[in-house]
Amino acid sequence: MIEFRQVTKRYDSDHTALAQVNFGLNRGELAFLTGHSGAGKSTLLKLIMVMERPSAGEVVVGGQLLNRLPRRQIPYIRRHIGVVFQNHQLLFDRTVFDNVAMPLEVMGASPRDIGRRVRAALDKVGLLNKEKMNPMQLSGGEQQRVGIARAVVNKPPVLLADEPTGNLDPELSADIMNLFTRFSQVGVTVLIATHDIGLVNDMGRRTLTLDHGRLIAGGSSPLHGAPGGVSGH
Amino acid sequence: MATDSRRKAEAGRGANTGRSPWKEQARSYLDHHRKVAKDSARRLWKTPVGTGMTWTVMGVALALPVALLLLLTSLQGVSAGWESSARITAYLKLEVPLEEAQALVDEIRTDSRISDIELVDREQALAEFRASSGLEDALDYLGENPLPHTLLITPEERSRSATGVEALVTFVRGLEGVERVQVDLGWLQRLNAMTDLLARAVWALAVLLAAAVILVIGNTVRLAIENRRDEILVAKLVGGTDAFVRRPFLYTGAWYGLGGGVVAWILLQLSLWWLSGPIERLAGLYRSDFALVGLSFDGVLALIIVAMLLGWLGAWVAVKRHLDDIEPGDIAGG
Repeated sequence: MIEFRQVTKRYDSDHTALAQVNFGLNRGELAFLTGHSGAGKSTLLKLIMVMERPSAGEVVVGGQLLNRLPRRQIPYIRRHIGVVFQNHQLLFDRTVFDNVAMPLEVMGASPRDIGRRVRAALDKVGLLNKEKMNPMQLSGGEQQRVGIARAVVNKPPVLLADEPTGNLDPELSADIMNLFTRFSQVGVTVLIATHDIGLVNDMGRRTLTLDHGRLIAGGSSPLHGAPGGVSGH
Repeated sequence: MATDSRRKAEAGRGANTGRSPWKEQARSYLDHHRKVAKDSARRLWKTPVGTGMTWTVMGVALALPVALLLLLTSLQGVSAGWESSARITAYLKLEVPLEEAQALVDEIRTDSRISDIELVDREQALAEFRASSGLEDALDYLGENPLPHTLLITPEERSRSATGVEALVTFVRGLEGVERVQVDLGWLQRLNAMTDLLARAVWALAVLLAAAVILVIGNTVRLAIENRRDEILVAKLVGGTDAFVRRPFLYTGAWYGLGGGVVAWILLQLSLWWLSGPIERLAGLYRSDFALVGLSFDGVLALIIVAMLLGWLGAWVAVKRHLDDIEPGDIAGG
């Protein structure tokens, strides 16, 4: 579902964020992406989101080569990728419902469809009763769950998360991880960037480790392996 | 992709129930437009002072050239009216007797360029002059009638141009017994030249003010874009196309235009009402039926449509210039 082939990303002539990264993730696989801060985690996620383009190598998502994707095609790729942020990027000028509805509105879904799917997504994260509230009235964990609902509301085949548990206590973090596990069980490819090593160890999933832009662990490419393959660590 | 196949399955079900998917899509597209338009209007409504000020600036900038254009149209109407009544006056020599003058009239009448010719004999002219000038006593002192027979010649429609009249004047001047030919075209040409000049000046002004309107709206929309930066970021992140992100701001520009057009129309009506009294009096003094013409219904419609287009264009400039700067590249820190 996601494949990196010899991907290098240089920002300026001297700063190399990623160097010859190789890995592949199958459908329904859940993997972690770890490394010290500045190791290139965010750059890797941005390459998948086409927020950045690689300096060399190939990035393939859902069978589509992203390197030379024309600019106006980018939105259509992003509709297949749900993203969860540490600071969740919710809009405080609208209700929880309207926040979660955004990916559907962007796609031009009908209001009936939007209502049904937003409620389904909110139900999955256990916030169905809070749809009319402003995200500002919610707790940190609840806000993060709204962000997750928004990321999965249009059932994307890929889900990315950047430090999704950064501000949460361990119990809430476990909740969130359970959610991600459930998504991967229904076939969503989940990649979670985090430096919460404890959490990573608890989950016992495949872990991609970056160090100064190089992938030093978990980089095997199980291109034809079993879905949800666990390579351990 | 699993979800793709699922989506296809859903679409298939939709088709089976008899609802054509493109119709559904078109409806939701229109629904979305309606929603965005309403939302943009509501946002403007929420900041009444700022919106009102933008509307007023736009209204003033639009009202000025439109007012000048109206004035110009009125002036051109006047000169056209006078042009159609352009007459050639031929004064015959004093010694020409009435019969000879009558013969001359008959001769001129045969010319195809003449639509009408009238002979004013000297006695009749004197009587008229006496009645209208108030110089009765002075005229009594004159032993004999100082006025000659006069021919009033109205050219045919197609000879009413400056050159046509010129040719006619040469022809009449060459006739036997004609002392002097007078045609009052000079001032008409001057008026025409002046309105031509004014027209160009007005159009230049209109273009400048339209550019000003575009810049004002562009700047206002730029601020709106800054205010909604987060929303734009999220929309781009979840796969909003450029058109989707642009749309609310284009509507905002169009709404600014609508308000500006209406304000311009109100300003025009007010100044027309304010000026109509004095203009009527002045025109009365000149024995002219000159009147400032207001905007017709079509004119008002055109004004508002042009204003909305300008607003839309201004928004488009701002959107083109600033929306590309907002890219979600810096959203994911670390």
